[in-house]
Amino acid sequence: MGGRAGFFEVEILDWKTKKQLCFLDKVESNATIREIRLMFHKLYPQWYPARQSIRLDPKGKSLRDEEILQHLPVGTTATLYFKDLGPQIGWTMVFLIEYTGPLFIYFLFYFRMPFVYGLDERFTSSPHPVVNLACICHSFHYIKRLIETIFVHRFSHGTMPLRNIVKNCLYYWGFAAWLAYYINHPLYTPPSYGKKQINFAVIMFLLCEAGNFSIHVALSDLRRDGSRTRKIPYPTKNPFTWLFFFVSCPNYTYEVGTWISFTIMTQCVPVGLFTLLCFIQMTIWAKDKHYTYLREFKDYPSLRMPIIPFLL
Amino acid sequence: MAAAGGSGGASRADNGYGSQQPRRRKGPGALATAYLVIYNVVMTAGWLVIAVGLVRAYLAKGSYHSLYYSIEKPLKFFQTGALLEILHCAFGIVPSSVVLTAFQVMSRVFLTWAVTHSVKEVQTEDSVLLFVVAWTITEIIRYSFYTFSLLNHLPYLIKWARYTLFIVLYPMGVSGELLTIYAALPFVRQSGLYSISLPNKYNFSFDYYTFLILVMISYIPIFPQLYFHMLHQRRKVLSHTEEHKKSE
Repeated sequence: MGGRAGFFEVEILDWKTKKQLCFLDKVESNATIREIRLMFHKLYPQWYPARQSIRLDPKGKSLRDEEILQHLPVGTTATLYFKDLGPQIGWTMVFLIEYTGPLFIYFLFYFRMPFVYGLDERFTSSPHPVVNLACICHSFHYIKRLIETIFVHRFSHGTMPLRNIVKNCLYYWGFAAWLAYYINHPLYTPPSYGKKQINFAVIMFLLCEAGNFSIHVALSDLRRDGSRTRKIPYPTKNPFTWLFFFVSCPNYTYEVGTWISFTIMTQCVPVGLFTLLCFIQMTIWAKDKHYTYLREFKDYPSLRMPIIPFLL
Repeated sequence: MAAAGGSGGASRADNGYGSQQPRRRKGPGALATAYLVIYNVVMTAGWLVIAVGLVRAYLAKGSYHSLYYSIEKPLKFFQTGALLEILHCAFGIVPSSVVLTAFQVMSRVFLTWAVTHSVKEVQTEDSVLLFVVAWTITEIIRYSFYTFSLLNHLPYLIKWARYTLFIVLYPMGVSGELLTIYAALPFVRQSGLYSISLPNKYNFSFDYYTFLILVMISYIPIFPQLYFHMLHQRRKVLSHTEEHKKSE
C-alpha cells in the first residue's frame, strides 16, 4: 500500500500502444485522481482533464476524480493507462445549444420567413388561434428547459464528447423544423374536435410542464449540498412529486405527457412521430436509471416502475 | 442493397456479401441451434428454387427479358421471410446487431415490395433481373455458409465463395437496384404513389418521388463503406485460414 515516506511513483501509459507517456515521482499517497489529471495536463496541455480517461486496465473503466491513489489496488509504483476521450463539451453548454436551436427555428416558420413557404406567403399569419397557441407552448417549453439548465440542473458528469453535439443537434433541430413546418403551414388544418380538443390539450400541457418542473427541482434538491452521489428521490409535499410513489423517473413521464398534449393540440403527425421517438428514448433512459437505482440501493421502493406506473 | 445479416452459428454482423471473423462465443442453446439450422436450410432451398426457376424460365422463353414473373412469388416469400433474422438478433440467438440486420433486411424488403411490386411498370426491366440474380447467388451461398457453420463443418469452398464472389455480386446488385428505382421514378410521379399532400386533417405530407431520390443518394455514402469493409474482412478471414493451414 503506502510507500516509504508516503510517496508513490505513478507511470501513465497509452492504453493502446502501452508507450510510457509520463512518469510522476514523489506523488503523495493521498493524492486524488483529479490531482493526477492536473499533473498530466501540465505535461500535455492539449489533453485537459475532462478528456483524460485514466484507468487501471487498458480497457477498464475510467477512474473518478475523487478516487485516492493509496486506496487503489496498485503497488508503490502505480501503472495507470490513459485514453484520449476527444474534445469535450460541458453539459450546460450542450443543453443551451440543443434547446436554443428549436426555439428560434420554430420562429422562422411561425413568422413565415420568405424561404420557408415561398415568397407569396412571406410574413403572413395564420387565421387559426391554435397556431398561435402552439407557438406559445412550444416556446414556453424550450424557455423553461433553458432556465432549468442554467438554474436548476446539477450534473453528475461534467462533459460529453464534442462529436455527440452534432448528432444531437441534427436530431432536435431537424425535428423542430419538420414539425414547425406543418403547424405553421398556410394549408394547416385545425384539430377535428375544435375548442374542446385544444382546451383539453392546453390543460394537460400545463399540468405536465408543472409536473416536470417539480421533479427537476426535487432532484436538484437532493444535491443541494454539492455532492455528486446518487440518492433515492422521494415524494415531497408537492402533489406533482407524488408520481415518485409509482415511477423512478417521473420527469420523463411528464415530458412524454407534454408532447402527447402538444400532439393533441396540433393534431399533426410529425409531432406524433416526435412524441413516439421521445417516448422510446426516455423509456430506455428510465429503465437504465431504474436498474441503476435497484443495483445501488437494497431498500429501493418495490412498487416503482421505470416510467409508466405499473406498466413499463 | 446489401444482403441480410447473420443467421447461423459461427460468423455474424455482416451484410451478407462478406463477414467478420468467425468468433468463439457462447452461442445459442441446442434448441435454438436446431431451429437455426432448419431456418437456414429452408432459406437455402428457397433461393435454390428461385435460381432453378430463373434458369427454367430462361430456357423456356429463349430470352432473359421479363423473367421476374416466373419467380415473383418465391422471391417475395423468401426475401420477406428474412425479416425473421431481425428477431433472431433481438432474441440473442444470433449475435448480430439488431439495428444493422434490420437496416439490411428492410432495404431488401423495401426494394421487393415498395418498388418492384408496387410499380408494375418496372417489372419488365432488365435491371430487376440484375439484382435478382445477384441476390439469389449471394443468398444461396450465405445461407449454406450459416448452415455448415452451425453444424461445425464448413467447407473451404463455401467460405471462399462467400468472401470472394461479393466482389462482383455486390456492385451488380447495387446497380440493378439503383437502375430499378430510377426506372420507377416517372411512374411514381405520374400516379402519386404513396404520396399525400396538404391540406389534410393529419397535417402531414409525403412525397414518395423525393423519398426515392433520397434513397438513391443514400447509396453513395453507404455502398463504398460496406464494400471496403467486406474487402477488409476478406483479407482477414482468408489469410487467417491460410495461416491455420500452414500451422497444421
